[in-house]
Amino acid sequence: MRNIIVCIKIVPKAEDMNFDPETRTMKRGGVENQINEADKNAIELSLRIKEKSGGRVVLLSMGPPFFDQYLKIGIAMGADDAILLSDRLFAGADTFATSATLSAAVRKIGDYDLVLCGEETSDGGTGQVPSQLAELLDLPQMLFVSEADIDGNSVKARRTIKGGYETVESGMPAVLSIELGINQPRFPDFRRKRWADKEFSLTVWSASDLGIKPELTGTSGSYTIVKRLTEFSTHQRQRISVAGTVEQQADKIMEILRESR
Amino acid sequence: MNRKEIWVYLERNQEEIEEVSLEILGKANELGKKSGMPVVGVVLGNDPGDLGNIALKHGADVVIFLKDPLLESYSTEDYTKALFEMIGKRTPEIFLLGATYQGRDLAGRLSARLRTGLTANVVSLDIGEDGYLLSGVPGYGSKVLAEIVCVRNKPQMSTVRPGIFNKTVIPNEAGIVEVVDIDLKDSVSRVKVLSRKVEKHPDLSRAEKVVIAGNGVEGNLDMVARLADILGARLGVSRPIADKGKASRELQVGSTGYSLNAKLVLIFGVSGAEHFLPGIANCQTVISINVDRESGIFEYSDYCIVADASKIIPILLKEGGDR
Repeated sequence: MRNIIVCIKIVPKAEDMNFDPETRTMKRGGVENQINEADKNAIELSLRIKEKSGGRVVLLSMGPPFFDQYLKIGIAMGADDAILLSDRLFAGADTFATSATLSAAVRKIGDYDLVLCGEETSDGGTGQVPSQLAELLDLPQMLFVSEADIDGNSVKARRTIKGGYETVESGMPAVLSIELGINQPRFPDFRRKRWADKEFSLTVWSASDLGIKPELTGTSGSYTIVKRLTEFSTHQRQRISVAGTVEQQADKIMEILRESR
Repeated sequence: MNRKEIWVYLERNQEEIEEVSLEILGKANELGKKSGMPVVGVVLGNDPGDLGNIALKHGADVVIFLKDPLLESYSTEDYTKALFEMIGKRTPEIFLLGATYQGRDLAGRLSARLRTGLTANVVSLDIGEDGYLLSGVPGYGSKVLAEIVCVRNKPQMSTVRPGIFNKTVIPNEAGIVEVVDIDLKDSVSRVKVLSRKVEKHPDLSRAEKVVIAGNGVEGNLDMVARLADILGARLGVSRPIADKGKASRELQVGSTGYSLNAKLVLIFGVSGAEHFLPGIANCQTVISINVDRESGIFEYSDYCIVADASKIIPILLKEGGDR
């Protein structure tokens, strides 16, 4: 088994985000970040594949230099190496420009059998990167995967489809997107974390390191733009409190049910 | 001459067209009238059957059936290849797909091959004054709506969430179904389907009444399911329940599951996490039952009931006529 590359995104905790109607932007100040949950499931899966079939787990992410601390958490979980793509040129990328940048890095890492991503991120929630990345790398794709097993030179996976699932198989390398919650990501190992913080040196690549043309990355490599942000006005609810004994509360529910018929 | 067109991907489900595709057709028809562009439904397969006529009844002006034996069942790479060729020939302005497992699998791959912009899971669609498609996406736990535009290439692509637009019957006597033999010769698919297991039941976004179980009633799922049964409602669950494998993803309500359009929902033990809320935004009446008086779900409910589910459900079951 060759390299298993796991693409991870560092995302803000959603509950910390607030919309500023004045500036029409999201207030991100003081927001805590974390590794996207589904990406943690992808890391866990990669480590289990490694334990069974060998290979090296390489984490790949894109973002500002201070994201190194989150990649070190992945190292402490058991990943062998981590690469952070960091360059002002990468800022403002949509999913296509992100995929283009990641694909250049995947090629530079080389010698890989699998590229794993979480099924989608909690912030953008598009789930588009895995398939766009697969296309740009000209690799087969299997999305929404809940189980994966290596068998010689091929990977067998169970993927979710409407109303159920399929068992699918393809040769490697291949790109897989991993469903949220399919496993319990292991905790970072304490001693490994200390080692990662002190001695592990993270690789940081810029656009010129990747040899990618600036016009293919960031805002200039994007095909979509956010035209405007508006506060989402959802239907105002009545918020009627139904007090009383549990029997009275149940009666009220039955009454509403009868009325709604 | 090259007429500008709005394309809608018609996802097949055996001999039927997925509801979401018909919903998008209805919306596309409205956008078409506004912009003067005809709506073209595109369906891939080997046997056209009556699919074309169904689409013509629901808002398509024209239906293109891309026909090849290799297109009988879905594969990412063969479908991408066929659509890429056809899009190259007719250069549509807009291409809309349902944000289903298949639609998302296909849209990502195809948009990258076309080198064009793709917007995911949109909940609103409009054509701006400048003629560009405006795709609305709720962001950051539905606190904002971001309107996204594809600026640098065509077609402008979006995947549309199921259950957002209404399927409507739009009489169309003059519509035509074009069957195009595309002759793929050999499959380019590198992914082999070994087995498939699907259950067919109408999706949750169509249900009139839904009873939802959240993390707080994890231990009482059977009881909640029984209640749904007694009340003639469908059962839904929040994401944590589906994540733990306690219920099928087909029952999941929220931003990564279904958006409900129910007249009434009864919600047990849901905390009201960001990703859950878009799932109930279009419901008429929301009743929430939670043991925690401070639960966030109450802010998004019409009736707020602080109670222990394991105590109130047995009473509801009895009143509902359970024996």
